[in-house]
Amino acid sequence: MKAEARGKNPSPTMSSMQNPSLFSNSRSSISGAVLTGCLSSLDGACIEKLLLHCGSALESNDVTLAQQVMWVLNNVASAVGDPNQRLASYFLRALVSRASRLCPATMSFKAAGIPHRRLMSVTELAGYVDLIPWHRFGFCASNNAILDAVRGFPKIHILDLSITHCMQWPTLIDALGKEPESPPVELRISVLSWRPPTPPLLNIPIEEVGQRLVNFARYRDVPFDFNVIEVGGPLDEEETIFSSSFYDFLLSQLNATMVKVNAEEALVVNIQNWLRYIPDEETSSSESSCDGIMSYRDSFLELVGRLSPCLMTVVDEDCDLGAQSGLTSRIVACFNYMWIPFDALETFLPKDSPQRIEYESDIGHKIENIVGYEGPQRIERLESGGKLCRRMAAMGFISVPFAEETVKEVKVLLDEHASGWGMKKDEDGMLVLTWKGHNAVYAGAWVPHDLTSHQNNLLV
Amino acid sequence: MNESAASGDSSSGNQTISPKPTAKKKRNLPGTPDPDAEVIALSPKTLMATNRFVCEVCNKGFQRDQNLQLHRRGHNLPWKLRQRSSTDAKKRVYVCPEPNCVHHEPARALGDLTGIKKHFCRKHGEKKWKCDKCSKKYAVQSDWKAHSKICGTKEYKCQCGVVFSRRDSYITHRAFCDALADENAKTPLAAADAAQDLEAGLSSTPPPPQQQQAPAPEDPPPAAADVASSIVPDNRSDVTELLDSTSANPSSSQILEESPNVTSFAARCSSSSCSGSSGSSSSNVFASLFASSTSSASLQPQTTGFTNIFQSIAPPDYAPDAAPSSSSEPVALCLAVNQGSSIFGNAGQERRQYPPAPQPALSATALLQKAAQIGAAAPNMSLLRGLGMVSSSSSPNSTEEWSQQKMETNGGSLASGLGLGLGCDSGSGLKELMLGTPSVFGPKHITLDLLGLGMAANGGSTAGYQL
Repeated sequence: MKAEARGKNPSPTMSSMQNPSLFSNSRSSISGAVLTGCLSSLDGACIEKLLLHCGSALESNDVTLAQQVMWVLNNVASAVGDPNQRLASYFLRALVSRASRLCPATMSFKAAGIPHRRLMSVTELAGYVDLIPWHRFGFCASNNAILDAVRGFPKIHILDLSITHCMQWPTLIDALGKEPESPPVELRISVLSWRPPTPPLLNIPIEEVGQRLVNFARYRDVPFDFNVIEVGGPLDEEETIFSSSFYDFLLSQLNATMVKVNAEEALVVNIQNWLRYIPDEETSSSESSCDGIMSYRDSFLELVGRLSPCLMTVVDEDCDLGAQSGLTSRIVACFNYMWIPFDALETFLPKDSPQRIEYESDIGHKIENIVGYEGPQRIERLESGGKLCRRMAAMGFISVPFAEETVKEVKVLLDEHASGWGMKKDEDGMLVLTWKGHNAVYAGAWVPHDLTSHQNNLLV
Repeated sequence: MNESAASGDSSSGNQTISPKPTAKKKRNLPGTPDPDAEVIALSPKTLMATNRFVCEVCNKGFQRDQNLQLHRRGHNLPWKLRQRSSTDAKKRVYVCPEPNCVHHEPARALGDLTGIKKHFCRKHGEKKWKCDKCSKKYAVQSDWKAHSKICGTKEYKCQCGVVFSRRDSYITHRAFCDALADENAKTPLAAADAAQDLEAGLSSTPPPPQQQQAPAPEDPPPAAADVASSIVPDNRSDVTELLDSTSANPSSSQILEESPNVTSFAARCSSSSCSGSSGSSSSNVFASLFASSTSSASLQPQTTGFTNIFQSIAPPDYAPDAAPSSSSEPVALCLAVNQGSSIFGNAGQERRQYPPAPQPALSATALLQKAAQIGAAAPNMSLLRGLGMVSSSSSPNSTEEWSQQKMETNGGSLASGLGLGLGCDSGSGLKELMLGTPSVFGPKHITLDLLGLGMAANGGSTAGYQL
């Protein structure tokens, strides 16, 4: 099974799959032994190959081949099987849905809400984010980096851009509550009223989440305030996140006034699993200040830089599924990457565990978007840590390394989970969560190059 | 004699308060030995050697000479327990043989032989001992034993009753738990948590227990949870009844927190929206496509299951929908060849009826052969035809832009809205797949059929797919 193979050979096969010339020279590059070996056992490599062929068939409108491969996949995939089979079932669903879509508009990913997904309660969500260290890794690394960066400042303002509904903050508030300083540090957290339409979904509005945080902070004797930045207006129900005007508007709201930047506060911008929803297509953005071609993602980073935060933390998934990837390479890359959480869940939850199924189903939702859609409707545009580092550098940010204490904390955290989880520190200064050696999630911290001196004056 | 943290379980960590000014309590750095002590460097082999002292009579090995001496008494052999004289014996400290290790330097040597042995094992040794409950691994057996004793016992308990094994998950839960909302005015956390934090003696629970529904397949599951999730048609009526009786409403999901074990599944049903039936027509195609192709005895999926499965071509639901219509069954797509169970069919009974087959009955090779034969066997079964779109002509449209959403029913170009365009091809793709040279990528090669089937076997595969 591929699971074992991955453990022994960390370099995934996808690198070979993405090379189209591999297939034009069939005799030499796909030796008979390899292909026969693959097809003789229904393992991850075989499934990957089948998905590859299905994807290329769809790309080239070869309906027959697509149909046939789907039939084979249908008999291989299993929602209750091993991780590769379970993953394959979500891929097949996405491919089938893509192939049979009659009228895209009715099944598109509207910004208003995601159809058919369960809404969790806030305590369920708290359990969800701790099922595997996927999110907790980023929380821990970022929170520690934030605490290091704001030490000495009397007031902190965090602009939180994430998809996990503030699950990151209780531990930060708790840490602030433990600090023996008096007077206690004042914390303020701001979120946007808009959130990318992706699971996990909550059954209460973000204002209520904030209220609970306020209660908790009071309980811990931490002066705390929570506010929601209204990015409404044109962004109402009908507006989808597929039009450029949406992003134009969103970015126009990210200024010092709307964010309520306060000169007395240390500003932190925390971006967790969120940056991938800002398009990275190279187009000229109306918000771009420079004449060059910038993507919305670049423009967004530029705007953040202008807010002069004393720290910017970014956590996201370490895989390249951006605007430039074609369907086939996306399918392969996505399959190899999404295998990671599936395999991790397999190691400690039974095959019929409702939590596991729900977690996998949410990943399936992402797969459906990644594989089933093109263009602006494909909102999941993952970018690897390496590429992000280069982007940040290009936009004038300087990397802030994580302290040794932070690295230790993260290690302790991972020790408490299953033994397949690991962590590495790469040369760019980022921390990367690994599962059996494969990169899963990266965490990085930056400051804008031209940090104004008034920030330094705030230090007590 | 104990030197700082050199011996004993390193996880206990209750050392003297460090003089350092940081808020965190830190242990004294292990390995800050007496400057006058004699430094001894043992080889890895010596350190790992377990039973160096062997009885000459019965060959039983012992780690320490003292133990061997005591054992010799049993053989009526002369024995001698050497008293450790504090005057002459110089204090000994030991360095770690691993060059990269921080304890390799004499300045950081450890003072206890047992300590250096354990250190070497822990840090540089292979972790052979694994905890059953949490899969943590240990190199030293005593560490493993010590961990097993406390694994799952040190727990954080929220006032709502849920138990956590890790502090961060406990804190996160605590922040949002309803129990907190009720007691805003209470005294600060420190005192309250101190009492709650260590609940020794609690049996270990797999995290997080609140969300778990049916613990094991063989237990009779709570009726609500599992009946609701079944896909088998005869259970659907139960679902309807259940939902009606619990008067599901959006706020019922709040109940989840107060009484986690009761009808929470039904509560969730209400909060999830009903899946539309827009996909049902297309999915029916697949049902019939796949069903018809399996006329042979060896591939006999349960057609009912398949129909149900494909009726929900729309994104999957975790929980069944409120509307009990047939098109809203929340089942997962596709199963292995010979089973019809749903991933949401968590009912113990159902699972016994449909034991999951992890591997399909056929190999990939056989499946591909079968797939190639589908076309020949069922010429009318075309994906696009089944969708209700009949086309007489083909207008290839290779772009898949969403702007083209024209739905043309008869004739004309089939849905570019299908996202496919009309690939009117010879259907040779599958053959190419089996031979390893997909024509889509490059020039066709006449390759030898790796499967030894020859071209003839696939000759008929193209007949059926005329678009």
